[in-house]
Amino acid sequence: MSWREAARLSDVAYTELCLQAVYAFRQGNLAPPGEASELVARARRRVIQSKALVSVFLGLIAVGAAYIGHIYASFGGRIVSVPLSPPEFQVGLIVGLLGIDVAFLWWTGIQVLPTLLASGVLPVLEPLPIDERTMRQTAALLFARLFDLPAATVLITTPLFVGAALGLSVGLAVIPGVFVAVTFALALSLVTGRFFVRRVQGSRGGGGNAAIRWAYLVLWLLPAFATFGFLTSATGLFVTIAHVAAAGEALPGVLLWTVFPFPFAALTAVATHGPSVIGLGGWGVVLLASAVAAYVGVAFAAAGWLYGSVAHLGRVPPTAAPPVLSGRRELRPVGAVRSVLTKDLRIASRTPGYAFLILLPILDALTLGFFTYVDSPTKDLSFSLGLASVTTAALLATFFGPAFFAIEVLAFSYGQTLPLAPRVNILAKSTLVALIYLLSGSIVLVFVGARVFDPFLFAAFVLAELPAVVAAAFFEFDLLFWRARSRAMPITNLYTGAWTAILVAIPGLLIAGAPLVTYAFGGVPAMALTALALLAVIGPESLRRVRS
Amino acid sequence: MDPSGERNDALPLAIDGLRVVYGERLAVDGLNLTVRPGEIYGLLGSNGAGKSSTIKAVVGLVVPAAGRIRVFGHDTASASLAAKERIGYVPETSMLYEALTPREFLEFVAGVRRLDAKTASERAAAYASAFRLDDEFEEPITALSNGTRQKVLLIAALLHQPPLLVLDEPLNSLDPRSVRLTRDLLTRYVGAGRRAILFSTHTMEVAERLCHRIGILEHGVLRGEGTLGELRGQIAHGDASLEEIFLRLTREGEGLSEVVAGLEGP
Repeated sequence: MSWREAARLSDVAYTELCLQAVYAFRQGNLAPPGEASELVARARRRVIQSKALVSVFLGLIAVGAAYIGHIYASFGGRIVSVPLSPPEFQVGLIVGLLGIDVAFLWWTGIQVLPTLLASGVLPVLEPLPIDERTMRQTAALLFARLFDLPAATVLITTPLFVGAALGLSVGLAVIPGVFVAVTFALALSLVTGRFFVRRVQGSRGGGGNAAIRWAYLVLWLLPAFATFGFLTSATGLFVTIAHVAAAGEALPGVLLWTVFPFPFAALTAVATHGPSVIGLGGWGVVLLASAVAAYVGVAFAAAGWLYGSVAHLGRVPPTAAPPVLSGRRELRPVGAVRSVLTKDLRIASRTPGYAFLILLPILDALTLGFFTYVDSPTKDLSFSLGLASVTTAALLATFFGPAFFAIEVLAFSYGQTLPLAPRVNILAKSTLVALIYLLSGSIVLVFVGARVFDPFLFAAFVLAELPAVVAAAFFEFDLLFWRARSRAMPITNLYTGAWTAILVAIPGLLIAGAPLVTYAFGGVPAMALTALALLAVIGPESLRRVRS
Repeated sequence: MDPSGERNDALPLAIDGLRVVYGERLAVDGLNLTVRPGEIYGLLGSNGAGKSSTIKAVVGLVVPAAGRIRVFGHDTASASLAAKERIGYVPETSMLYEALTPREFLEFVAGVRRLDAKTASERAAAYASAFRLDDEFEEPITALSNGTRQKVLLIAALLHQPPLLVLDEPLNSLDPRSVRLTRDLLTRYVGAGRRAILFSTHTMEVAERLCHRIGILEHGVLRGEGTLGELRGQIAHGDASLEEIFLRLTREGEGLSEVVAGLEGP
């Protein structure tokens, strides 16, 4: 056996993985009409499109960083409110860039690994007479193909664009940091993927366990949230990072040079400006060099660990908890809409991809609300920031809404046999979107209420937008259910269904955004009227179209 | 008419001229079949004979290319929800919501079926106890064995005590005790009222013991139908076992001994 045999086997496994990722047959979805070869070709195409989408995003971040570097050079250090020296600026930029690369690749891994586990492609190979070495090679190649395009994008575009903006020496000096960032992201994906299987997917039923699961999920989704948080509050964070990094040999500064990704950002500054410009003396340079060497060593060790561990990913036991006889036995059925809503929430509590959709708008509201409370110097500004926070919550809830549809793919071949009208599903999922929005809005309301002392006007704003959020959700789910009935399930998971979700979300965002525009002209009354009018038009039409 | 508004003479299941097509492949070709009240109807056939396609059409998972299916008089095309309300279904493969526990899954099914808490709890507890499922009631379904998943599906199908049970190879993966339990349970189930069962299986022994009438499918066409005695009459062999009847009617037995002999060489 050889790498050539491993490449052949991994290609077969990759095709199966694409098929399962796009059509989710093993999770209970029904086969859409069409020849098998067409489905396979379509699945492979969809996976490439999804990888391209992630890669374009990562490439844009590198381009954006280069553009900021260019602007900074042109305006001589006046890009942010606090003036920064070129080395300080460079450190802040590289730290942010590497941080986003790690977080976004990690987030991609969080989305992809459960699909890899659910597909069962690796356990299928286990009983075959394949030697251990070839098995490892096969699994490693399969794992590498999941991340090939996004990882290659980071490895190539980051040095390229950073080099173009800040000079060839910076571009070359950032290469070790980029290699470590990619390796760490892949290793973190695998570690958290195994953690997910053991502690979240395998968690037993009951209210207490559900609370623990959600707490785990919040921790687990922090990298994704970190990416989002960095993008939404990049300037403030950037200045803070650059200033802390520039603290030099003061104790916190010295310690900072040992924490990834600061040593690699400092390395670029040292390579171009020398150690003294960022306040490093002799011992500081030794510490920095040691940190860089240690991280590169750890990255190589992590790569080796990845190579050895991926092969037996399928062997991870789905549950670690021993069976116990306690727990609720009686059933507490509720109405059909609430049943679907409860089922979706329970599935989300064991499926990080869906939990992410619920938690991100809520965590975002929490963060923006907190910063609004802490930072806003005046009542008026505080109120405006609060409105912006609620607007973000409304648009996020609307944007992520279509992805909840993918829950219907799970056990679709069973769910279809239940006497469940599509309008019940639409009502349940739209209720979920509305609840996410209301919870997010309420969180901002608490912070803004404490600062502005005019909670009623703010509450009126939150409630006035609600009908538009519901109308947008109706519209989006109506489109998706219509497509599912006429052809096949349009979204089977968040990674491979990203294009469809984005296309459906665009009209949804326009609907949810319309009252926010009319608010600028006529205040809350105009906003409420617009939102109610949209709901009055879209709601009945959506429910009528899917009546069964 | 009974209080629910359906005709008392309506058959539990009536299939007229059913055709199921997948792309170029014809899976079921003009099938006519009825299941009467109080009857367990067994659908026998080789792999790919059209059993699962017929069942999927009945429960609404496959849209027929032609034909009509009525469940207690309700057309599955024009009144699909009314038909689904009267059906309890166990699929061939245990595709469940992996992220739910059996209790959470049954709670969802009970909610969709509009059962009250007392009725749902009593029935779930009784069946869970009978199938010795108590220890796994709070385990995520993803961690359960195939046999345990099958038990969960059987309980879900029985939870609303439907007048028509549609079971696609329901005994696969079950342990011997559960096979016996299910067989006895189904026999008693149709004993009361107008209930009926459509049942597909490969296992001749099960079909012979359990089914009142049997339909033998081959390439989507019904080759024989009736009680065991009637089927024996069709092949003019008074003592034939169901296996012999099946092999004769489908001609699947032809050349079998030569095939086996040919396999002895390698």
